[in-house]
Amino acid sequence: MADGPILSDEKKKTDKKRITIDPITRLEGHGKIEIFLDDNGDCTNAYWQIPELRGFERFCIGRHISELPVLTNRLCGVCPAAHHIASTLTLDAVFNAETTETAHKLRELFYMGQYTHSHIAHFYALAAADFVLGPAAPAEKRNILGVVEAVGLEIGSKVIEHRHYGQKVQEIIGGRATHPVFGIPGGVSKPLKEEDRQEIEKMAKSCVEFGKFTLELFDNVVLKNKDYLDIILNGNTYYLETNYMGLVDDNDMVELYKGKVRVVDPNGKELAKFEPNQYLDYIAEHVEPWTYMKMPFFKPIGWKGLVDGASSGMLRVGPLGRLNASKGMSTPLAQEAFEKMYGTFRDLGVKGPIHNSLVFHWARVIEQLHAAERMLELATDKEITSSDVRGKIDTPTEGVGITEAPRGTLIHHYRSSPDGLCEMINMVVATTHNNAAICTDVKKTAQALIKNGEVSPGLLNMVEMTFRCYDPCNSCGTHILPNGQRAIEIHIKDANGEHLKVLKNF
Amino acid sequence: MPQNAVLVLGIGNPILTDDAIGILVAREISNRGFPGVDVEEVSASGIEIMEMMLDRSKVIIIDAIKLPDRKPGEIMRLGEEDFTATVHGSSPHGVNLSTAIALGRQIAPDRMPGEIIFFAMQAEDVSTFHEGTTSSISKMLPKLVSIVQREVLSAPSK
Repeated sequence: MADGPILSDEKKKTDKKRITIDPITRLEGHGKIEIFLDDNGDCTNAYWQIPELRGFERFCIGRHISELPVLTNRLCGVCPAAHHIASTLTLDAVFNAETTETAHKLRELFYMGQYTHSHIAHFYALAAADFVLGPAAPAEKRNILGVVEAVGLEIGSKVIEHRHYGQKVQEIIGGRATHPVFGIPGGVSKPLKEEDRQEIEKMAKSCVEFGKFTLELFDNVVLKNKDYLDIILNGNTYYLETNYMGLVDDNDMVELYKGKVRVVDPNGKELAKFEPNQYLDYIAEHVEPWTYMKMPFFKPIGWKGLVDGASSGMLRVGPLGRLNASKGMSTPLAQEAFEKMYGTFRDLGVKGPIHNSLVFHWARVIEQLHAAERMLELATDKEITSSDVRGKIDTPTEGVGITEAPRGTLIHHYRSSPDGLCEMINMVVATTHNNAAICTDVKKTAQALIKNGEVSPGLLNMVEMTFRCYDPCNSCGTHILPNGQRAIEIHIKDANGEHLKVLKNF
Repeated sequence: MPQNAVLVLGIGNPILTDDAIGILVAREISNRGFPGVDVEEVSASGIEIMEMMLDRSKVIIIDAIKLPDRKPGEIMRLGEEDFTATVHGSSPHGVNLSTAIALGRQIAPDRMPGEIIFFAMQAEDVSTFHEGTTSSISKMLPKLVSIVQREVLSAPSK
C-alpha cells in the first residue's frame, strides 16, 4: 500500500465572506453548500441547498395506483429498488392484501441485492477515498481511482464483481436491473426458478466473503489508524446527539425490508414503536424558506430548530440511525461486528447510541455484511422457489408502506379511488429525514474548521465529508459538462450577503 | 451472454421532461434495428455504465446536458478526452462517467472499448416531472437520431 493518508495540507487565507462548494463532488445529484463568514473570517452559518424537482405528486394523481411502483422507482437512478419496495408495501396496505410468505421473502431477497451494490458503491467510491487517501489529498486522487491505486487493482475488480452480483440478484427476481417491475399488491409477478436460486446462492456466498473483507479493510485502514480514530471520536466535529429511527423486527433487531418503526432518544431510550399507518402521529415536516427540502422531525417532541440534543425533535436515519434504534443484527457475523462497534465506544464511556457521524461508514459496512448474510439465508430458504407468490386483494382505499432505503426510512402513503385511480400521494424520502441533521452537522464542522478566514481544499473536503456520511440523494437530473474541467463555482458574499465576486473554472 | 460489438446507450429519465433525450433517441435507434448493434436505455451512470461497456469495441452514449452558454436543442459530439472531468447529476453514486471509464481502463484495460463517443443535447428543463420533451427539444430530436445513426453505421475502429 502507498504511504499513509494525508491529513492536513497548507492552509490558504481568504478574505471572502462566503465560500461555496458547488457542485458537491462525489454525490448523487447536485447541491450547493454555502458557508457564511463574519467580519473576523469565522463561520457563522453553513447551509446545504438543493435544486428542486417539481411536480411528482401532480404527475401521479389520476394514474392507476398499480403504476406507482414503476413510476416512483423513476424518482432516482440510485435507489429505484427502495422506492419500488416501499410502493409495493403501500399497495399491500391500499388493497388490504394477504401477501404470501414467499412473496415477502422474494421481495426481501431482491432488496438485499440492492443493499449489496448500493453500500459497496458508497464505501468504495465515496467514503473510502476520504479514509484511504486522507481528506487533504489532492482532488484528482480523492476518488475510486486513487483508492484502487493505493490498495491494489484486485480490489477494483472485486468491487465491480460484487456490485454486479447485487444487480444480478435484482435482475433475476425483479426483471430489470435498474428499474424493477415485479412488485404487485399481495405479491410479486413471478416465482423464482431453481437454477436461478442456485446462481443467487453462489453469488451470496461470495458477497458474504467480500463483506468480511470490507470490514477488515475498514478495520485496518480506519480503526487502526490513530489519526483517523481521533477524528472519528472527536466530539467537536462530526458529532450530533440526536434521536434515531429505523425499522425493527419483533425482537427489535434491524429490519431493512419491513417492520415496525422504532425511535430512540440520544440515550437509547425507546420513544416510540409504531406501525406504518400511524406515521402521521409521529413524523411531521417543517419547511425552511431558504431550501426546497423539508425537515421532518419527531412530532411528540416538536421542531426546535437546527439544534441537536434530547429536547430537539431532530431525527437521524440510515445505517447509524438504524443500528442505534435497534438492539442488534439478526445475522451472526453482522451481530459480531455490531457488538464490536458498540463495545469500542463502551470502552470509551459511551453507554448508548453512538453519535459520531463518521460512524455511519462503519455501520454501513456492517449492513453490507448483514445484507449478504440475509441474501444467503433467503436463497437457501425452503419456501423461496414456491409458486405461491400472489395473495388475495380487496377494493383499494388508502395505505402506508415503510421500508428502509439504504439512506434511511422511506415512507409512501397513497389514497386510491375505488376503481384504482391515485387520488393522493405523499412521500417522505430517506434523505429528507436527515436534512436537519446534515445542515446542523455541516454548520458545526465549518465552524470548527474554518477560522479567521483560513480555508484550504482539505478543509472544504472535510465539510463535504460531513454529509457524505449520510450518503444523501438529491435526485436531480441536472447535468453539467465543462470543457475538460470539474465545474466549480464559488460565490463570495460579505456579512450582509452582498455579492463580492464569483469565481468559476468553466 | 453473447453481445454485439457496438453498444448504443441512451442515458436519462423518461418522466423528467428533457432528461428523456437519451432514452428517446436510443429507443428510435432500437426500433430501426441495426445488425451487430445492441441498444440499452439506462437511468444510471458511473460504474454501471462502465460495466455495460466491457467487451464492446465501440460504445455510443446519448444524454442530455446543461451547459451554461448553450441553446436548448444544440447537439455536441464528444470523445473520451472531452469529458475527462464531467460531473454527471443523474445517478453517479459518486463516480462520474469519466472516472468510471478511467477505472475501467485501470482495472480491465483489455475489456474496455476502443472507441467511446458521447452525443449530448443541451436540455431546457430537466427538473419537472412530465412525460414528453419541451418543444425546442422535440424539434431537434430527429436530427440527433440521424447523427447517431450515421455514427452507428460507420465501421467500428477495431
